[in-house]
Amino acid sequence: MGGVEEVGGRGGRNPVVSLWGHLKAVGTGLKYLIAVPRMTVKYPDEVIELPDGYRGMLIYHQDLCISCGLCATICPANAIKMYLPSGGGGGEGGGEKPETPPKRHPGIDYARCIFCGFCVDICPTGALEHSKVHDAAYERVEDMLYRPEEFAAGPPTVEFERPPKRLRPVMDERRGISYEPVG
Amino acid sequence: MGALGWILGLLLSPWVFVPLIYPGLVSAFAVLLFIIWFERKLAAKVQRRFGPYYVLRHLGGATQLVADLIRYLFAEPIIPEEADALAFVMGPALLFGLTLLPVVAIPVSGTFYAIRSDVSLLIVLALLTLGAAMTLIIGWAGNNKFSLIGGLREGFLSMAYEIPLFVAALSMAAAYGTLDLVDMVEVQAETAWGVALNPLAAFVFLVISFLATSRFPFEISEAESELVMGPFTEYSGIMYGLTMGASYLKYYVLCLLFSIMFLGGWEPVPPQLAAVPFGPGVVVFAKALALMALGVFLRAVYPRYRVDQAIRLAWHYLLPLSVASVFVSMGAAWLGLTGA
Repeated sequence: MGGVEEVGGRGGRNPVVSLWGHLKAVGTGLKYLIAVPRMTVKYPDEVIELPDGYRGMLIYHQDLCISCGLCATICPANAIKMYLPSGGGGGEGGGEKPETPPKRHPGIDYARCIFCGFCVDICPTGALEHSKVHDAAYERVEDMLYRPEEFAAGPPTVEFERPPKRLRPVMDERRGISYEPVG
Repeated sequence: MGALGWILGLLLSPWVFVPLIYPGLVSAFAVLLFIIWFERKLAAKVQRRFGPYYVLRHLGGATQLVADLIRYLFAEPIIPEEADALAFVMGPALLFGLTLLPVVAIPVSGTFYAIRSDVSLLIVLALLTLGAAMTLIIGWAGNNKFSLIGGLREGFLSMAYEIPLFVAALSMAAAYGTLDLVDMVEVQAETAWGVALNPLAAFVFLVISFLATSRFPFEISEAESELVMGPFTEYSGIMYGLTMGASYLKYYVLCLLFSIMFLGGWEPVPPQLAAVPFGPGVVVFAKALALMALGVFLRAVYPRYRVDQAIRLAWHYLLPLSVASVFVSMGAAWLGLTGA
């Protein structure tokens, strides 16, 4: 019991002072209820313009890729793995033997990706870059795996039911974040 | 035609109308659907968000809770292997039913009631205590440490809140000189509202009703951030819906009781409503709903007390205050303010 009292440390608090604190808290709540504007937007109807450097889904330029595998090595979530081209049969079963072994290329599993951007930073030729796409939805988890050829085709385009209103966030001394329409 | 008239007469007879329609099951469900949506909207506005929005967009997502209810109805209710199956399954229904039970003794108007008893306040208070025992049983039945801790917290709290709740309510009986809720409203119509006669009892009763129904800042047994969902952790589907609704339901009953004891009940009756036998009940309903809005608004304001802080608050402050409110009532009666 004594321990609980000490942890609480409020045994000697003046109840009048504490009642005043409660009234102030409720007053602040009422102020926010009535006077303070909202900071969020109605998302699928209103979309925030994203800043440059936003880390969205990746764009993969296969022509720049040198198959070094650094992106797969650095990926902390093991989302990027190196794949053999799927068209070549994937094995040695065919008749002719290629002179050079087929190159591996990165593919990405967006079910695992944490959008840290390490792969973009480490890519020596700039074959990977971020797009601003972040709101793709998938019906099946297998659809989130992009093999190299799908990965090279670029991130999915997001379609809205109604054309959304584009908003740009503006920092405001008094209101915090507010939004102004773009275009 | 005869059969229809007979059914209508049956539905409008007080002993069916009160438990089934108002203030019973139908209006209780309507209150649940409204107040939980309203709570989410209020909390969202204070936290600078929008809250429910996309289900019926033009009314601000007003039917969000209907959508949630349908989802609960079709979700699979899972009974854990190690749970005490009978208690686990019966618990939510009993909790919901027992929580709603006190409305049978709450009068709708001076002439329209299911039970008129000269101890109807005692009946309501006694029936109110049944739900807490069910919460304890539910907490045990889930065979989950969170539900057990939540159930025990509810047990500790119910020890702490029931005595001041009863003393504060009975102090008003002392002021009005009656335990009959209908008579209480009539005394208030002749003199003044209970909240003016004995503000101390009103304050204690209000704070206790937050404490007794897991409203903030006393959301202790269901403590989401510590205990998942307290006693109701293992529930899913419609059983979860019932357990979640039960605390709002108890708050609804307490608010009805508060409006009858402290806010003048159905007085003043607007003349348009006076002609309908259960018309004055609309006034009680409106008062109770306004009070519920206040209670759910506090969710946006407060963090939570620890269980020991809440129990100390109840035993150290609310119990002495409720005893003091008895003397306030006696003083008011002695000065002749209550006409008793």
